[in-house]
Amino acid sequence: MGPLAINELISENTNLFLAFIIGIGFGFILEQSGFSSSRKLAGVFYGYDTVVLKVFFTAAITAMLGLLFFSLFGWIDMDLVYVNPTYLTSAIVGGMIMGAGFIIGGYCPGTSFCGASIGKIDALVFIGGLFIGVFIFGIGYDLWDGMYMAKFLGSPKVSETLGLTDGVFAFLLIIVALGMFWVAEWAEKKFPRAEY
Amino acid sequence: MKPRTLLALFVIPMGLIIAAVPQNTTKPYKLTAEELLSEVNTRTQYVTPDAVADMIVKKDPSLRLIDVRSQDEYEKYSLPGAINIPVTDLLSDQYTDILDQDVKMNIFYSNGTLTANEAWMITRQLGYNNNFVLEGGLNYWFDAIMNPQKPASTSSDEEFAKYDFRKSAGQALGGGGVVQSAQDQNTASAKPVVKSAPKKKKAAGGC
Repeated sequence: MGPLAINELISENTNLFLAFIIGIGFGFILEQSGFSSSRKLAGVFYGYDTVVLKVFFTAAITAMLGLLFFSLFGWIDMDLVYVNPTYLTSAIVGGMIMGAGFIIGGYCPGTSFCGASIGKIDALVFIGGLFIGVFIFGIGYDLWDGMYMAKFLGSPKVSETLGLTDGVFAFLLIIVALGMFWVAEWAEKKFPRAEY
Repeated sequence: MKPRTLLALFVIPMGLIIAAVPQNTTKPYKLTAEELLSEVNTRTQYVTPDAVADMIVKKDPSLRLIDVRSQDEYEKYSLPGAINIPVTDLLSDQYTDILDQDVKMNIFYSNGTLTANEAWMITRQLGYNNNFVLEGGLNYWFDAIMNPQKPASTSSDEEFAKYDFRKSAGQALGGGGVVQSAQDQNTASAKPVVKSAPKKKKAAGGC
């Protein structure tokens, strides 16, 4: 609800309340899609179940198209949309740690709470590990402060870096996503697993 | 039909459309007609010549006079320290930083108030704050500051104080006349307060 809260069209409390509703909706959809199963999530890396990849990429290109069309019709001011700032080194290192944890634990932070909410023991263990990681990061912050803040690039968009317009980049990303879906379904046939 | 084919049939044409159309860079208007009307009715955009003269004489660093007349007219005569942004070039990118800011108090002036008001309305409609109009324009400025009329002897002390202030300010700014009596010169009208834009809060997201 970024633009609404920043421009003080809604109060901070309403913003939190909306976040609560959206969060419940998000968790519900994750659970309904079967993302509370660590085996399903780990399947992306072994190729036997790529639903996670397909769901998240479909969501991404839908949201992307929605934003671009809203902007085209003048319904949303893209300058007010929050773009995550990029710290290149920590993005790469953090991505690797997150990916490793994803394969080992079978959850990402959001889905682990999803799993825990329906009583999955492995999800609870994963959350325990998550808090240990948070604790270590906080205690040792001075050690990796330099690396954490290194290579700050502001809030660049990939389309700007490549010198393309947002629309052309969106089209290319759609093609890439559909190509990935095709590869993913090929992998599901190639590495099938009867039960998981 | 497979879901993937269905999805492809939908998103590829949409992607093609969005790639082909030009990017929308216009900003939605930030003031409704009612809001603008109410600002016009309350005359919040006006700053009196006395307040402006006072700020010029005191070298107030927050003051920025903007001459919205043509360059020819600007070169012939302009108020001290004024910069020239002809109203025809108002939307040029090079002036955005000057017009859309929350530090200085921009005061538009033209010969009358028509052109300055046009500039004010356009910038206001773009959502910019801290732009004002010199009341009465340069014509009234000359009448009031450069050639003030001595009030009738029956006038109130206030009138005389105003006259003295105008006379001395006019003199300091290059007009004629000598101050005759030394009365309290606290007549410069209250000037509008420069509004700082609210700090933008950061939003954050994650998986």
